[in-house]
Amino acid sequence: MPMPNGPGPNRREFLQRAAILAAAAPTLGAFLAACSKPGQTSSSPSLTIAKPDSPVKWPIAEDNKAIADGLAPEKGATLKIYNYADYLSPQAIKAFEDKHGIKVEVSTFNDGDEAITKLRSGVDFDIYNANYTEISRLVTGGLVRPLNHSYIPNISNVWPTFTDPWYDQGWQYTVPYTIYTTGIGWRTDQVPADIGKLPNAYASLWDPAYKDKTAIIDDFHTAMAMVLLKQGITDVNTSSEADLKMVGEQLSALVKATSPKVTITMYSDMPAGQIGLSQMWSGDIINAQSYLPEGVGPEILRYWFPEDGKGLVDNDMLVTLKGGKNPVLAHLFLNHMLDPAVAKENFLAIGYQPPQNSITPDSLVAEEFIPENLRSAIVKPEYFDAGYRTLELDADNDAAWHNVWNAFNAGGS
Amino acid sequence: MPADARSNQVGVSRQPANRLWTVLAAPGIGWLALFFLAPLYVVLAIVFGQRDPVFRTAVPVWNPLQWDPTQFTYVLTRIGPDGVYFPALVRTVVYVGAASILCLCIAFPVAYYVSRLAGRHKGLLIALLIAPFWISYMMRMLAWVNLLQNDGLINRILRFGGLFDVNVDWLTGQPAVVILGLAYGYVPYMILPLYAGLDRLSQSMLEASRDLGANRVSSFVRVTLPMCRPTIIAAVLLTCLPMLGDYFTNDLLSASPKTAMVGNLINDSVQAPGQTGQAGAFVMLVLIATVLPMVYYVRVTLRGDEVRT
Amino acid sequence: MSVVTSSGSTLRGPIGWYRDPWRRPRVLAGITIAYLVWSLLPVLIAIMFSFNDGRSRTNWQGFSFRWYWGDQTRSVWHDASLHTALLQTLKLGLIATLIAVPLGVLFAIGIDRWRGRLPSGANVLMLISFVIPEVLLAVALLFVVTSLALPFGLGTSAQVVGLVTYQVAYPAVLVRARLATIGPQYEEAAMDLGASQLGALRRVTLPMLMPAIFASTVLVFADVIDDFVLVRYLSSGSATEPVSVKIYNTARAAPTPALNALATLLLLAAFAAVVIGYLVFRRMTRNDETTGRGIAAFAGET
Repeated sequence: MPMPNGPGPNRREFLQRAAILAAAAPTLGAFLAACSKPGQTSSSPSLTIAKPDSPVKWPIAEDNKAIADGLAPEKGATLKIYNYADYLSPQAIKAFEDKHGIKVEVSTFNDGDEAITKLRSGVDFDIYNANYTEISRLVTGGLVRPLNHSYIPNISNVWPTFTDPWYDQGWQYTVPYTIYTTGIGWRTDQVPADIGKLPNAYASLWDPAYKDKTAIIDDFHTAMAMVLLKQGITDVNTSSEADLKMVGEQLSALVKATSPKVTITMYSDMPAGQIGLSQMWSGDIINAQSYLPEGVGPEILRYWFPEDGKGLVDNDMLVTLKGGKNPVLAHLFLNHMLDPAVAKENFLAIGYQPPQNSITPDSLVAEEFIPENLRSAIVKPEYFDAGYRTLELDADNDAAWHNVWNAFNAGGS
Repeated sequence: MPADARSNQVGVSRQPANRLWTVLAAPGIGWLALFFLAPLYVVLAIVFGQRDPVFRTAVPVWNPLQWDPTQFTYVLTRIGPDGVYFPALVRTVVYVGAASILCLCIAFPVAYYVSRLAGRHKGLLIALLIAPFWISYMMRMLAWVNLLQNDGLINRILRFGGLFDVNVDWLTGQPAVVILGLAYGYVPYMILPLYAGLDRLSQSMLEASRDLGANRVSSFVRVTLPMCRPTIIAAVLLTCLPMLGDYFTNDLLSASPKTAMVGNLINDSVQAPGQTGQAGAFVMLVLIATVLPMVYYVRVTLRGDEVRT
Repeated sequence: MSVVTSSGSTLRGPIGWYRDPWRRPRVLAGITIAYLVWSLLPVLIAIMFSFNDGRSRTNWQGFSFRWYWGDQTRSVWHDASLHTALLQTLKLGLIATLIAVPLGVLFAIGIDRWRGRLPSGANVLMLISFVIPEVLLAVALLFVVTSLALPFGLGTSAQVVGLVTYQVAYPAVLVRARLATIGPQYEEAAMDLGASQLGALRRVTLPMLMPAIFASTVLVFADVIDDFVLVRYLSSGSATEPVSVKIYNTARAAPTPALNALATLLLLAAFAAVVIGYLVFRRMTRNDETTGRGIAAFAGET
């Protein structure tokens, strides 16, 4: 028998309180709804997905016109760039800072999903390093600002295809940043076999002989696309349930066989000896040369990508964001990065090749930027015709892909 | 002010000034209600809310009558024994349990020694024990990452200057490394409360048991341990409850899904589009799972408070 | 060392040593020393490598201050992102401590005296906020800041709010413990002598609580500058990322010893804060018999 003054409520009081709470919840709900941030749901319910064989010219919204011509750059401002870590040369940044007397601040993200969520939550970055797997969402969600081409004359230095790419006809929103392929990289001292000569190079990651020495890229689309390619499926944006189920099973088998790291830092992990065999971006293996410890030369690094170009080919882009406070400086920075000298210096610093006319595979090897053993990491224009691209997925497909990736990341069965 | 009236109320708490205490406590209560309780409701609103069709970011639904349980049931159906998330949950319990036991085995002797047997060096030892509190947790983990790298000190020591060819990959998905990392990180949090509790034990009781003939082990098991049981329980709870939400130790010491804990499940899905609701569901589940130990901790502490007065 | 057994014979050697109840606790001392080495040596090594001349964090390449101010682009002095992180850490530490400690102290005093259901419920809530896994609170606050139109968005304000919520329990617990030790007699004596409630509080209780308040200030500060989970979720960009987040981000990419240098500087700042705090604490409790004066009392274990 509970005492009236004893510890804890008796049953009647408890029910009274529960009733009060239950009655309060809708009022609390209404109150919170009034406080809710506006613009939580987007208006257009479907995405236009750009594909190489169905290019898209994005609309420019009425309230999102490009800036006027001939404006002066903002003074004393802080240009905010949102980018991957170690993906922009500090020297290029410093040169820009000195040229305009402003400060540049680089914030980093780990993957595109995290970046888009952050962008949606109302931050004021000026420039974002985007990929065409996001371009539709960025434009539809009103996150990017259209470009005023008069500020970016250096566009003439890049490969002509990028002035009218299929993902952004008329380059209204984007300029190209880097081009890269996704293949397999390895160190000859840990992996003596020549992975490139194997009938199915991707399958080497499942080889138990390399247990605890492997890694795959921490990006759901890139990693899962590789699994599809391993099984011979060339539609790397598939929405087939059977295919996705197979990918899930293959990923579980991968964990059991070699227990790979899931990371985007293979450019420093491989030179440090942490991993010996990894799915890698071409820029990473080139970049890895500068992270090798003393006494270890770049001859031990190798890279494989299909000779005929039938592998994953991509390019990254820079966009200016609508929420940014320094649009003129943003345009000027994009122009700065397209300058051949700056682009080349950036290439040296980050390892990723810019699509500049002045940089050809032969010139790179001749000038000894790329050693002969890494020639396969150079991106050729022909790759873009034959290669497979990871495209943007529509909402349902995206959810299905993410579910598989989530299960893999949970170390689940 | 009638001083004689007041002096008649010996031993009774000062009721007339209740308003003063209310006023003093109000900001704190208000803050906790606003920034601790209310956010839990927001979590519910997101877990049972909608998803933006384009960006798949979470859209909270405030009215409980419109709540949509899809995201919650999605997670709930997958945490059962054959579910996808089950291994991660089991792993969390195993790692935290193992790390807590390890912490206790390390912390108890150290705390016992420093509190009762250290003599002259007590002050210095306590200072050294407290030092990890103000050394950044990240820096301590970073220090271990340095040591455990393939070309780090640990491998070099194991090689014994070239005698053995050792190249252990410590940092790729080794559960033992994660457990040791957790123990390393959290053991200072256990030492201090244990020290405080053991410090308060009366030496005379222990000596009495020895005088009455109990040997060392028996005296420890039958006198010391029962006396400091509440302290041990409070210290263990204080250490292992925060450990349940740890995800960065695993991220730093082993970037592999093989050692993913529930904190990693939350962290991976919070920023991912379409999965924010799932993150919220995990938050709810962890909260429900830990509410009993937390309440137990509260009761042990409150009882300790009473004993002290 | 010899022991006299019950039968009167003397034992020497290891058995005698083992049976002697007053022997020096060598085993426990050994365990303690081993623990201290295990605990502190990795940090000392990391500090040592912050003075490394080369880029490696595992190979010693000579002594230099390169990563502190020498290197033109990557040292802590020259790399804006690194010293921004340090400044942000100190800023968060100061603001959060200045809000959390008074809030917690007043809360503790109020709850201690006020009888009733609401205060005991609030007490339970406060204790739960003390042990809750931080990531739960961080995610909940992230949802709040991104879904509700609050006067502040992600960034320093949100971080301060989260930190205060997480830390307010610390001073509350310490002050309550101290109140329990002091007891009500001093305050009652003051009121018997004619002081009002508020006056007694202000002129008798608060000065007696000063050591606990001060200790909790220093401890909250040390805890806040070390915080990781909350500040990471609630940050808005690299300008609002404190040192702990910087270390985490960079450690997973390609860290240089500049990171070790940054962490060492933070450690020095925290160490200075705690040492100053302890010295002031000892001065404050010079003539106070109701509190211990050792380091343990400073850390809140009265």
